[in-house]
Amino acid sequence: MKAASRALLILLLAAGASGCAEVAPWERGRLAKAHMALEPCPEIRALREHTYLSREASSGAKPGAGGGCGCY
Amino acid sequence: MEWRDIARGATCALALATAATAGERQAPDCSLRAVDDSRRWELREMRGRVVWVDFWASWCGSCAEAVPFLNDLEREFGAQGFAVLGINLDEEPRDALEFLARHPADFAQAADADGLCPRSFGVETMPAAYLIDRRGVIRHVHAGFRPGEAAGLRARVAELVAESQREGR
Amino acid sequence: MLPGLAPGGARAAEGDELTFQYGQYQEDERDLVDAKSDYDPIRADTLLFHQRLTPADRWRLDLTYMQDTWSGATPVTTAPLVLGGNHPTSPDGVSGATPLVEGDLFLDGNLQPVAVNEFGEVVATDPRLVHTMSSASPETRMQGQFELGYDWSGVELDFGAGLSYEDDYESRFASAGASWELDQSRTSFDLVLRFADNETQALLDPDAVPYIDTRAYQGEIDVSGSGERTLDDDRQDWSAALGATQILSKNARVESSVAYARSRGYLANPYKVVEVGFIDPAQQFLAPPGGYYAQVRALLEKRPSLRSLWTWDTRFVQYVEPFGASLHLGYRLYHDDWGIDAHTLEASWAQPLGAGWTAIPRVRYYSQSEADFYAPYLISDQAFVSVVSDPDTGEIISVTPYDPALLPSSYSSDQRLSGFGALSGGLTLVKQFARGVRLEADFEYYAHRGDLRLGGGGEADYADWDSYRFSASVTLDANALQAFGYRSTSGRDGHGDHRAHAGERAPAGVLLAHMLPDAGQFGLGYRYVLGRQAGDLLHGASSVSDAQVIALGCEGDPCSTAPRRMDMQMHMLEWMYAPTDWLNVMLMAQFVDMKMDVQPLAGPMPDLHGAHDHSTGGPGDTLGFLLFELAETETQSLHFGLGISAPTGDVGEKQRRTHQEDVGYVHYGMQLGSGTWDLLPSLTWTGSLDRFQLGGQVSGARRLESENRSGYALGDAFQVTAWAGYSPLDWLSVSLRGVYSMQGELRGEYDGLHADSGPMDFPDNYGGQYWDVGLGLSAVLPDGYLAGNRFAVEWLEPVHDDANGYQLERTGTLFVNWSVDF
Repeated sequence: MKAASRALLILLLAAGASGCAEVAPWERGRLAKAHMALEPCPEIRALREHTYLSREASSGAKPGAGGGCGCY
Repeated sequence: MEWRDIARGATCALALATAATAGERQAPDCSLRAVDDSRRWELREMRGRVVWVDFWASWCGSCAEAVPFLNDLEREFGAQGFAVLGINLDEEPRDALEFLARHPADFAQAADADGLCPRSFGVETMPAAYLIDRRGVIRHVHAGFRPGEAAGLRARVAELVAESQREGR
Repeated sequence: MLPGLAPGGARAAEGDELTFQYGQYQEDERDLVDAKSDYDPIRADTLLFHQRLTPADRWRLDLTYMQDTWSGATPVTTAPLVLGGNHPTSPDGVSGATPLVEGDLFLDGNLQPVAVNEFGEVVATDPRLVHTMSSASPETRMQGQFELGYDWSGVELDFGAGLSYEDDYESRFASAGASWELDQSRTSFDLVLRFADNETQALLDPDAVPYIDTRAYQGEIDVSGSGERTLDDDRQDWSAALGATQILSKNARVESSVAYARSRGYLANPYKVVEVGFIDPAQQFLAPPGGYYAQVRALLEKRPSLRSLWTWDTRFVQYVEPFGASLHLGYRLYHDDWGIDAHTLEASWAQPLGAGWTAIPRVRYYSQSEADFYAPYLISDQAFVSVVSDPDTGEIISVTPYDPALLPSSYSSDQRLSGFGALSGGLTLVKQFARGVRLEADFEYYAHRGDLRLGGGGEADYADWDSYRFSASVTLDANALQAFGYRSTSGRDGHGDHRAHAGERAPAGVLLAHMLPDAGQFGLGYRYVLGRQAGDLLHGASSVSDAQVIALGCEGDPCSTAPRRMDMQMHMLEWMYAPTDWLNVMLMAQFVDMKMDVQPLAGPMPDLHGAHDHSTGGPGDTLGFLLFELAETETQSLHFGLGISAPTGDVGEKQRRTHQEDVGYVHYGMQLGSGTWDLLPSLTWTGSLDRFQLGGQVSGARRLESENRSGYALGDAFQVTAWAGYSPLDWLSVSLRGVYSMQGELRGEYDGLHADSGPMDFPDNYGGQYWDVGLGLSAVLPDGYLAGNRFAVEWLEPVHDDANGYQLERTGTLFVNWSVDF
């Protein structure tokens, strides 16, 4: 876990320091494309996560979301 | 994660902050090309009129919402020495033309794919609107567009249009 | 936020949206080696609605409703194969395997299970394990939630809450979040806090509970008057998640988030047990030479009452120029204090194909380690019960149960806590129409394999299974939702042609009343129907006593039960398109759920076990229509409809075994469709004058087959309805309606085992003539944000029933309808 937390810290700092000269506000055309969203199909993802939640132990930190005691 | 990057980032942020809070600022000049490539002109040729410069792109949702409002402004104030100028920043001119086919704009449209004009204006958001008075001074910068802001913006335009006419030229 | 979305980047869609989605999940059969199970594998049907509204600048409201209906067999425990847990109930195996959770287990010197023959001789060591399966009747879970957000430029705060409800479990949850954009939105941070308060009220299987030791949760089990045991306990969950999203370049962005969650309370599964083999020193004369004899007993599984977990998620997307596509990668690390470490790796490729189509194939690998207290079964070096009796008199002096302190403090054989890996692959197809409509379809195949566990050591292959999942959805965005209208400062009404079509104002309960006026238009509508029956049983038009029903309701044999209450809910999605001015094409999908409450009849031999409530749910029949405009003037319209009903609704729904008996098909009225191809003709007339509207419709259903795949067919149906409406305001109408419906008798009967304890199980008791009066309200929003959208609600009150045979009387029907043309 220590290596993982260190990696995360570096990632966040690198993210914050990459500077604003890189991507201007009007250069976001590609990033704005529907398929470039981190999750292009959120409802499908919600349904997939719902079935994984009922069959895998790592439901991951979302109490109540998806509900049910998974008693099936 | 170098110090150079952090310094660059900090300077950039400071420059933007300064520009945004500056008092009277003359609108920079831009070389404009019509979006359908039919003519070219310079922004300074529009001095003498109140100009609403609207930087937009086809992929920005608020830009689509602004079109009817800008059409209304052009219709209401166009005869009183006012003009709306849309400056499209799409990398692909085809995207701009498709957008205009879906959202017809009744005002002048220019294109600047190289990004020189928005850079000199210091554009920070999409859309970004600059209200320029008849002397070429930027009087108001508006970031984004929400329909509820339309009434307030229209009032500012009316004020500038009326003010210059009263003072004469 | 929708369930399952990681913080940050979740608001991919700005602006308004409405989504309807249907999903189906189906597992395949487990490998039970030499037992054949008649149980159906797990299947779930899910319905999801999501609406995002931006009612005012800077405000966002998300509403989500989700419903799943689950049925099929799950493992109740794991046991050595030699124990024969999946035990056929009859030599010809006509009923499914019944779970047997007790037995005698013979072990060798290494405590490995061995098979013995009838002479007690060891035949072979057989360490194989198998799941012991038990089925569940269909159950429906419903969940509703909302989230409200406010956006100052750059900072958004949101708050949400919701409720999930099913018969044995209720969850109330709330969340609060903040999102902060910096650096011209290149970077954003998200914080989400969540809390849930959950309660379990699980009725322990009455057939199995005599064989299950429930001491671990004795304090939480209530025993009812009829001996039923319910485990009643609660649980609280808290979580906090912090995430950051960063734009890396014009073509890439990355997001990473860390979350912590803690749960406290009853964290076990009340339907799962662990087999424990008790080695009683006094009974070892039964053991094979050199080995041991264990008495296997089932104990309710026991889990710690606290759980802490950590997750770390990272997602990355990169635009790939030569293809115009994007590559998505994701990794999640999970760690909890139950000993489970899990890794999830996901990759997908979003490829635009032109003309609004996008294909997104994806692959996912998952691996988890087993929980510290996971054990397929346990061996304990003590007797289950020690009986000490007086050697002379034989009197029992003391009875000492096993000592729980000698068992592990927690134990579970739940497969979810075992070590395994899973590999799944899927494809999503998206079609975006210019008009603001998006269709999505998704298919995924999932393989759960013990040997795919990272580093090996996963559960053996008896525990492997496969599943597939399919879903389809339609989403309308702001362009479509606002119909012809748009927000304009000058107040210009962009509403277009606004003829006050009387068909637009038709009551909510009338289908097919409205035709799209112009070629090229689309229409979308949603209708909710709630039909309720409760109260007396009717024969013809009059109420009857229980004695009469017992004697005459069940075609010869005395009835022992009768329905006391029945609720039917239907969600219908209608999609219309006008290829020409005079023709409309319509497709209607339905999702149905039924619930029936059955009680024993008061008679000489009341069946105390007869009380039960059933539910079924899933997709109903799918309908397609052609509507032909016969006449159209400024004030009147007449159109003819020809429809076909495709039997996509299940007519083979079955009840689970109760009291050691299979019951077979569920009551006729609980099936989800007609099961036959049906013809649906209709003729509709609407007229309007000033503020008044009039309308009438004649419609019918003619079954094109004499029996469906379960052996019966519904009778033909016929309906006449007429209504009058008045508009006190331009946009609002009130309506009064009369309906006459005729439903023919049920033809044929089930071709297999089915319930036969009450009138609802006999074809003679279906069909009849029904008269209703309806009062409705409908609105067509004239301007503003949702101009052109139509809303209607109607209540239909029964005034006279003339029922065939013996039926439960109707108390009314509610219709709610929303539709929009664009």
